Amino acid sequence: MKKIVACYKWVADEADIRIDEKSRALNFDRVKYKISEYDRNAIEVGNSLKDKYSCEFVAVTCGAQVESSLKDVLSRGPTNVYYINDEILADADGGVTAKVLAGIIKKIGAVDLVICGEGSGDEYGQQVGPRLAALLGYASCTFVTKLDLTDEGLMAERKLEDGIEVVQVQGPAVVTVLPDINTPPIPTLKQILGAKKKPTTKLSLKDIGLSRDACAPKLKNIGVLGTVMERKGICMNIDGLSIQEAAEKLAKRLSADGILG
Amino acid sequence: MSEDRFDVIIVGAGPAGSTAAYILAGAGKEVLLIERGDEPGAKNMTGGRLYGHSLEKIIPGFAQEAPLERRIVKETVSFLTSDTSVSFDLQSELLGSGGKESYSVLRAEFDCWLAKKAEKAGAILVTGIRVDDLFMEEGRVKGVIAGEDIMEAGVVILADGVNSLLAQKIGMKQELKPHQAAVGAKEIIELPGEVIEDRFNLHEGEGAARLFVGDCTKGRIGGGFLYTNKKSISLGLVFTLSDLQSWEKTVPEMVEDFKHHPAVSPLIKGGRTLEYSAHLVPEAGYSMIPKLYGDGVVVVGDAAGFVINIGYMVRGMDLAIASGEAAAKAIISAHDVYTTQALSRYRKLLEESFVIRDLKQYSKFPAFLNNKRIFNEYPQLIAELMTDFFSVDGSPVPPMMKRILKPVKKVGLMKVASDVWKGVRAL
Repeated sequence: MKKIVACYKWVADEADIRIDEKSRALNFDRVKYKISEYDRNAIEVGNSLKDKYSCEFVAVTCGAQVESSLKDVLSRGPTNVYYINDEILADADGGVTAKVLAGIIKKIGAVDLVICGEGSGDEYGQQVGPRLAALLGYASCTFVTKLDLTDEGLMAERKLEDGIEVVQVQGPAVVTVLPDINTPPIPTLKQILGAKKKPTTKLSLKDIGLSRDACAPKLKNIGVLGTVMERKGICMNIDGLSIQEAAEKLAKRLSADGILG
Repeated sequence: MSEDRFDVIIVGAGPAGSTAAYILAGAGKEVLLIERGDEPGAKNMTGGRLYGHSLEKIIPGFAQEAPLERRIVKETVSFLTSDTSVSFDLQSELLGSGGKESYSVLRAEFDCWLAKKAEKAGAILVTGIRVDDLFMEEGRVKGVIAGEDIMEAGVVILADGVNSLLAQKIGMKQELKPHQAAVGAKEIIELPGEVIEDRFNLHEGEGAARLFVGDCTKGRIGGGFLYTNKKSISLGLVFTLSDLQSWEKTVPEMVEDFKHHPAVSPLIKGGRTLEYSAHLVPEAGYSMIPKLYGDGVVVVGDAAGFVINIGYMVRGMDLAIASGEAAAKAIISAHDVYTTQALSRYRKLLEESFVIRDLKQYSKFPAFLNNKRIFNEYPQLIAELMTDFFSVDGSPVPPMMKRILKPVKKVGLMKVASDVWKGVRAL
């Protein structure tokens, strides 16, 4: 029985991030977290392969506050989730994340296929998949829009700028998938209830033999500023103007501002 | 618990559903609480005010832990014409104490908190799932259907809100009629806490509630409301759906006009709109209460039409909480036999509580409010009267009685007298 792992990142829901109009700083006060959208595709690939070939299928994640993600991911198909929850991973870059994930996957052992989203929903660095392949000594296969298992490994279609490439991989591989590959279903009532009974496996950095020094990111984010749309806050029909008149007034105003050509 | 069966399934994690779940789980029942939104409260909307008495009974001292915004100590009712506002203002320490406490709340936070309380008591909360239908066998409710899943239960509590499709599907409730519901539309406008306290003359943590009658609904049956939150203001309108077809303006346009009214705009000046929402509000009071219980099923909260609207006061959440409590108690005392007969105790408990008593008390009020003079002529009358009292421009001053009667006569003395009489009787 083949063993499949899907990796996912627990990211801030971008819909909840607010931008301070003056400083343009990002405000995370009311932010909720979610499984990165691209990783949902990866999880669904693993889930459908599990159903098709009766593979063993588990999920893997790491981060600073990933415990709240466990029920969610388990409702999407995997039979277990292996994770490391450590504050030190709050600022992890792609390199650190790949090291930790590789450690967990080695700990699971004899994994045939690792599936990741092409990039994460928050930073989209596209680093983790290929780095993971290097660390595990697996083949790396990116931009995948179609995937099937073969006896020796896998067949994949890669969507490139100028066409579709079909590749065959021998032996274990790390595959990164594009959103086109599937439409992840919303978990059903029974899947959600079932998830509450599934096991989870908590590991520590020590368990995978990684020192805290090794978890210091080399890439550091020194600032993110949002884009702000400048609004003048002018209301055209405030004096009870008809829509017709207001539209004319607006057109005049826009052409005076040189916006209409 | 077997794989697919619970003692109780509750549809909707609003105040009514979560209260029932909290009490039932506490009594050792296997409870499944299903919410359609991604989080409890995500789909819910309120003007913004919770009268605390019914929850205090269930969770004593809840105000210490619940995410409440401000304790209301100030009530203002304003009559608006397009350019004038006449207000009655009550500020009293007695308003916010001795069991009469009420609070402004934001539902996204409050409903989450209450659902988490139910979860901690042992209920299983599942969010992001819509219940499509009830699972029936031999004419009785045996569970719920969500997508392809059937989940069985001894009894199902319908707490699925004002337009309860599930109650309609099994014939406990008629489809909503336009006169039975109003539309509520509201903006949450962000302002610093100190600015709110300065503008509304409040101490830290204290809040103000305001109601507006007249021009804000353009003379239609309904009114405007404003509640102060910690760092925002909830501002909106509620108006009847009965004459919706004849409206010239859309609901968002009406809200926008309301924000620009000279009596309102200084209150929200400099604020930024964080969210806009709209929702149906049950309006018909006692007369719209559906069949409240059946074989294997009870209906609570907005789904049961438990809202009291008496113009200067709109109550829903305290009734919802009390109805959730009554449903839970009836279910506990039914001892796993959820027949119509056993669940009739729910109605009995409601009759003994303030829920049915208050709904009956105000049962004539929806009809009384169905009088356009209240929203047109009277605000105009009061505005004219008061403006006249306070105007000095050197012209001769007529005798007081004449000054009062002049605007009253415009409406018709008998009509005014009859409306006042009806109003007092309805209350």
